[in-house]
Amino acid sequence: MINSIFVMSPTGEVIIEKHYRGYISRTCCELFWNEVQQASNPSEVKPVMVTPKYYVIHVQRYGMFFIAVVQRDVIPLLVTEFLHRVVDVFRDYFNEVSEESIKENFITVYQIMDEMMDNGIPMTTEPNVLKTMIVPPTILGRVATSMGVSDKSNLNSDLPEGMLSSIWWRRKGVKYTNNEIYLDIIEEIDCSIDTNGLMVTCDVSGEVLVNCKLSGMPDMTLSFTNPSIIDDVNFHPCVRLSRYERDQVMSFVPPDGKFKLASYSVNTTGQAVTLPLYVKPQIHFSGTSGRVNVMVGPKSNLAGRTIEDVVITIPFTKNIATNNLSVNHGTAHFDDASKVLRWEIGKVPKEKSPCLNGSVSLVPGTETPESGPTILVDFKIVMFSASGLKIDALTMSGERYKPYKGVRFVTKAGRFQVRS
Amino acid sequence: MSDAKYFQTTKRGEIHELKEELHTNDKSKQKEAVKKVIAAMTVGKDVSMLFPDVCNCMQTPNVELKKLVYLYLINYAKAQPDLAILAVNTFVKDASDSNPLIRALAVRTMGCIRVEQITEYLTNPLLKTLKDEDPYVRKTAAMCVAKLYDINPDLVKEQGFLDLLIGLISDPNPTVVANAVASLTEIAEASGMSDIFTFAPEALMKLLSALNECTEWGQVYILDAISTYRPSDAKEAESIIERVIPRLQHANAAVVLSAVKVVLGCLQLCTNAESVKTYIKKLSPPLVTLLASEPEIQYVALRNIQLICSRRPNILANDIKVFFCKYNDPTYVKVEKVDVMVMLANERTVEQVLLELKEYAFAEVDVDFVRKAVRAIGKCALKIERCAERCVAILLDLIQTKVSYVVQESIVVIKDIFRKYPNQYESVIGTLCENLESLEHPEAKGALIWIIGQYAERIENAKELLEAFIEEFADLDVDVQLQLLTATVKLFLKRPSNTQGTVKEILQLATTKSNNPDLRDRGYIYWRLLSTDPEKAKIIVLAEHSTVQYDPQKVDNQLLDLLLHQISSLASVYHKPTSSFLVNTGRQAQPTQQSTNTSGAVMDVMDLLGGDLSSSAPSQPKAQQPVVNDLLDLMSDLSFQPTSTPSVDMVGSHSLPAKMNSLLTADKGGGMAVDGILVRSGGKISYELQFKNISAAGPLSGFAIQFNKNFFGLTNAVALQVPTLTVGQSQTVSLAMTCKEDKTSPATPSLGLQVAIKNATGIYYFKDTIPLEVILSENGRINGPEYPQLWQSIPAANQVHTSLMNPRSLFVDIGLGGLGLEWFSFGQFFHRGFSHPPVPPFTTFAFFRKPVSSFLYLILNPGTTE
Repeated sequence: MINSIFVMSPTGEVIIEKHYRGYISRTCCELFWNEVQQASNPSEVKPVMVTPKYYVIHVQRYGMFFIAVVQRDVIPLLVTEFLHRVVDVFRDYFNEVSEESIKENFITVYQIMDEMMDNGIPMTTEPNVLKTMIVPPTILGRVATSMGVSDKSNLNSDLPEGMLSSIWWRRKGVKYTNNEIYLDIIEEIDCSIDTNGLMVTCDVSGEVLVNCKLSGMPDMTLSFTNPSIIDDVNFHPCVRLSRYERDQVMSFVPPDGKFKLASYSVNTTGQAVTLPLYVKPQIHFSGTSGRVNVMVGPKSNLAGRTIEDVVITIPFTKNIATNNLSVNHGTAHFDDASKVLRWEIGKVPKEKSPCLNGSVSLVPGTETPESGPTILVDFKIVMFSASGLKIDALTMSGERYKPYKGVRFVTKAGRFQVRS
Repeated sequence: MSDAKYFQTTKRGEIHELKEELHTNDKSKQKEAVKKVIAAMTVGKDVSMLFPDVCNCMQTPNVELKKLVYLYLINYAKAQPDLAILAVNTFVKDASDSNPLIRALAVRTMGCIRVEQITEYLTNPLLKTLKDEDPYVRKTAAMCVAKLYDINPDLVKEQGFLDLLIGLISDPNPTVVANAVASLTEIAEASGMSDIFTFAPEALMKLLSALNECTEWGQVYILDAISTYRPSDAKEAESIIERVIPRLQHANAAVVLSAVKVVLGCLQLCTNAESVKTYIKKLSPPLVTLLASEPEIQYVALRNIQLICSRRPNILANDIKVFFCKYNDPTYVKVEKVDVMVMLANERTVEQVLLELKEYAFAEVDVDFVRKAVRAIGKCALKIERCAERCVAILLDLIQTKVSYVVQESIVVIKDIFRKYPNQYESVIGTLCENLESLEHPEAKGALIWIIGQYAERIENAKELLEAFIEEFADLDVDVQLQLLTATVKLFLKRPSNTQGTVKEILQLATTKSNNPDLRDRGYIYWRLLSTDPEKAKIIVLAEHSTVQYDPQKVDNQLLDLLLHQISSLASVYHKPTSSFLVNTGRQAQPTQQSTNTSGAVMDVMDLLGGDLSSSAPSQPKAQQPVVNDLLDLMSDLSFQPTSTPSVDMVGSHSLPAKMNSLLTADKGGGMAVDGILVRSGGKISYELQFKNISAAGPLSGFAIQFNKNFFGLTNAVALQVPTLTVGQSQTVSLAMTCKEDKTSPATPSLGLQVAIKNATGIYYFKDTIPLEVILSENGRINGPEYPQLWQSIPAANQVHTSLMNPRSLFVDIGLGGLGLEWFSFGQFFHRGFSHPPVPPFTTFAFFRKPVSSFLYLILNPGTTE
């Protein structure tokens, strides 16, 4: 049971406080803020803290701190998930989450927070349903209110229909002239490669994102040609879990608009995933200088797809004094303050391998690093599935119209790291 | 323009303006005004005086305006209970409105107004709405019962609300069921009585079917409730598991972990080994998936995984790679991952784990994490004998880096490996000894000294090495000194030929130069042992060590059982039962849950009250004294709620006394009697002391005085000058006092002052109380008109409101103090009646000027100010 929620700006100012179970002084936020200031980086602050009277559970998003204060033992994940949901709803309503956007809409913020939780227990958190109760602010509406033209309330004074039905995530009476449903299947490769080029860990995880613009109460069924690739899966509440358990088919009545249908991890124990590209770093330090050589190139033929948006980030040690690094493709930028090299390659060309070359010098008298830095890799491949997952069919029943269906696969680098 | 305009700085007369706007007939203007009021409330301004005016806007069909007013009411009703009653009528009326949204809103808001007087009006609407035809209203009402219980538990029991709530578990609407469960759980927790919420197998079926249809949050509460259910046999347990297992695939991490908890609980009853295996297999992928989430979820998941793996290490044995650290994981996640890696490491995987740990120890930059990795390498060696050699090799590599904290940590770890596997890896001692100079951390020094002592016969230059340490004996940590003492004695017993001088030197140092009793005692024991029977000494000092064992479980079995029942709770994150780490468990605090240092705090209270509480204190068990809690909390949290302080009449000791108090009587002072009083005049503190010689022994001379460390750092500014006193003679001296900033001053506020006076016949101790007016500085004096302004300028965060329950008691407390801040004298305005804050005839002051976080707390009753 959450007692209070505070929203803190990046500078430690409390901009929203909402008490669900009696007043709690902001002092506990000060204790939290002390903790933030002592940490080397705000992201290093533990998500669960205990102060003499309260537990402080927080999440950090968009540089802001969303802090829940609780007095008795709770389910911490419930609190964390709820805070995530609050942030998501804010983003949904105001298009961005920032100090300004929250201050600009604070009345709506309070209305939302009031609706999302009662007595410290989450209530309505589904954006679809919330929006039927509290209408998101529009520019037009704001202008009208400020000119005194409109006295239209943004609150619906009637209970939305079907809110407590067994399909509580979908509002009734949705109508579209063009009925469309889009599926984005986005897979991420998390992997660590050691200094010898061997894979230490490699995991592929994916998400099925849906943008649903269908009228009425459509009942969808999504099936895969090779469902056994999916090892573990988490579903949006709309998915019938027992049906999946039985037939490995995702059957659901979708919420209206954008939502995440499922996230899954791929079974990688059977066969190793072939990485779409290679990164070969050779970074050696000796005395007061170091040699740097990093080569990048495509590894498998990727069914003719190109690797896009390739970015290599090398966080060098802080005692780098100068560098003369050059690249034969793309642009490289060395940030002198953070000593981070960011090499934007873009599309990997077919004819040559992009290469970063040169040397760095260390500040004299400082320690020579024992090993090179860990290199972070970023890339994207459109219409390619790292896991090889294939959709068999997406069918609809329960409505008469014929919807337009679009499916897109994207493979991205997740936490893709190469040690050197 | 947006809502941000409401945050613009306010001008003078703003409140008045708002008042007028709230009374206007223009509805949209009225709404704007309420918005402004709420904006002011948000930024921490006090707008409570507008209470009646805002209430005035409540009777409106406009839902938005109604909600805004309710928001205001919830915030200020507590401060204005009498006025809150005014709002009751509207609530009661709204609770039977035709619009279910309004009905629900009314019942919901009423519950949030935490004023006891309002509860009796709440009964009827609540009874009605619990049976409302609309599920939205019913679910809101269900939650309201928990709120009501929080304010008035007896009323809930008397009116049979609990039975109604239990009845709602069979409600046809799953969301109502979920809310009823959440509400019951809440009541069960608040009351500390788990029997409020026990359910029959039929109810279990209802819960299981509601599970499929309610919201994700409802699922969490229902799963949590199911986890308290004890299945009667293996068959029932299996059927529950079957029904719950699909939840492991929910997107909400809380649902997943609660489902894991239910499954683990039921598994204990399963007898069929085959099905247990199948279920266990189903648990691992969801746990692994939690680790792909945001770091805050990972952290909680990892802490729980540690518990689960302590009991069932095979669940994740094949997934060890998932726990390898990512470069950009936050340190708190990495540290937990390393723990799990060691827990899961087995003969097959340890090689891989060691490679990873080595990588962290070499490449990571975070000092704490590197240490953790080095320790983990040591733990692997202790856990799996086969890899010990490999571990020692890695540790030696690490020592070669010459990075001081890596070297130090490695040496500590190697010491443990020596103890576990004696006579195997001593060949590395030479390398260790080369790194003497890079050791700074006491634990590392101690470890190396132990190694030198233990293997003195093999280390060529053991004597020289130890002598180097002995040279800096005085600067060493006590633990290191102890270690050094033992090591030197071992050296002597092993190589007695040329080490006699060394051992003598250390024994001398330990027994004469140290003021640590442990060290002195150990020194004397060794000395006596060595001088009486060296052979016996050998048997004792060089006795076999018990070997160090790898202890895979961080928590003992009994606690583990308890914690496994609390998977997915904060207790499982802290690996401690809830009771042990949260001081304040609410109004229903259980006396058994007091932290161990309460007795210390009780002592402080005694100090505060003049050193002798025994005669007047009520003879309650210590743990139940609410003062204790408050004192503890005070230091770090400003919310302060004195409930019933022990009733001690303190009037005498605090009103400015007209004469000196007797501090030391002649029978206790060896013939010396001391009277005295601390006074302040002209901004200076002095201790007026009168010494009398009433002994029969003869003249007294050689007077000296010393003050024990006290909260204010009060001590003498000059030495005590008292001439020799012949029998019967008395002498009055004025000793100039000063407050010295001293970091070692006790942190607990106390007015106690312990004094020692020495003369030629001995040392005598007594206690005095520091009168507050002596410490407070004159320049803090505030005049009447200034006071309300200052009061209002205090930021809300620094304000503490309290009311005095016992008019006969006086309780003075100073929290978060420290020196160098301005203390205020209150004498000026005790007698003045102030219209604001409205707490006459008792006056509660909370005042501070700098630094803002410090405050002085004073509660006085009129009797003391005469």
